[in-house]
Amino acid sequence: MARETSLAKQQTQSLVQTEQRPAIAPECDIYESKDELLLVADLPGVSTDALKIDIDNGELALEARRKVASSGSSLGSEFRDCDFRRRFAVPPGIDTAKISADLKNGVLRLHLPKSDSVKPRQISIRAG
Amino acid sequence: MLSRFDLGWNDWDDMFSAMSQLRGYMDRMFEDSASTRAWTPRALLPTFGGSWPRANFSDNGSSLTLTAEVPGLSEKDVKLSLNQDVLTLAGERKTPVPEGYLTHRQERPTVQFSRSFSLPCAVDPDRASASVKDGILTVTLEKAKEAQPRQISVKAS
Repeated sequence: MARETSLAKQQTQSLVQTEQRPAIAPECDIYESKDELLLVADLPGVSTDALKIDIDNGELALEARRKVASSGSSLGSEFRDCDFRRRFAVPPGIDTAKISADLKNGVLRLHLPKSDSVKPRQISIRAG
Repeated sequence: MLSRFDLGWNDWDDMFSAMSQLRGYMDRMFEDSASTRAWTPRALLPTFGGSWPRANFSDNGSSLTLTAEVPGLSEKDVKLSLNQDVLTLAGERKTPVPEGYLTHRQERPTVQFSRSFSLPCAVDPDRASASVKDGILTVTLEKAKEAQPRQISVKAS
């Protein structure tokens, strides 16, 4: 029941258990400027080849596999191999062809530029 | 929706978003059923350390390895110190709002952390190494000579 603005995002979280590997929804921050929406997600241990971002029919899906290097005998484990999965509904007005992403230090930054039709524009008034 | 009712408290949205955040924390806490962490959602105690970052510890025979999830941090953001048999991992993880942006959702915690690990044996501080890759910190501590595993030969008498 968050405040509804026309550019707010919805999220569906799912927690599935398949073959002993849990799927975790990564923590995401969502910001908005006048030109784009920015999504920042924590994906520790994920490299670019293990990350898949799909956008289909107004839905953005993030999926990543994370393997934890294990050696020796474990004396305590608080995080393990998992899938990171999260889906968002993308509001209309995003130019999906220009979406770009970068992954650095386990943090994904996804830029969703707004299409020109929804950017704020000055409307000049003709005296007449 | 409920804005017609004036309760003198306009923060329904904040309350509901706090509730859904709490639910998110609870989900994350229960996702790892074999977790050995204490019963606190990880982002709710930022300054008391103790739960961020999540860490794995293993014994490789002649060395000990600590790995921790530190997304967004690089080598210079993490301070490691070794004091006798206690390894301390400290630092700060900031999640600043970029200039010119509004915030719709903020889930990644801003934390000042300090976690200490009691090591099961003595380690050689001169031969410790650490690196950060893809947001995972790996610290390798070589065990001190006297703590290395050794074979004891049994003589027949």
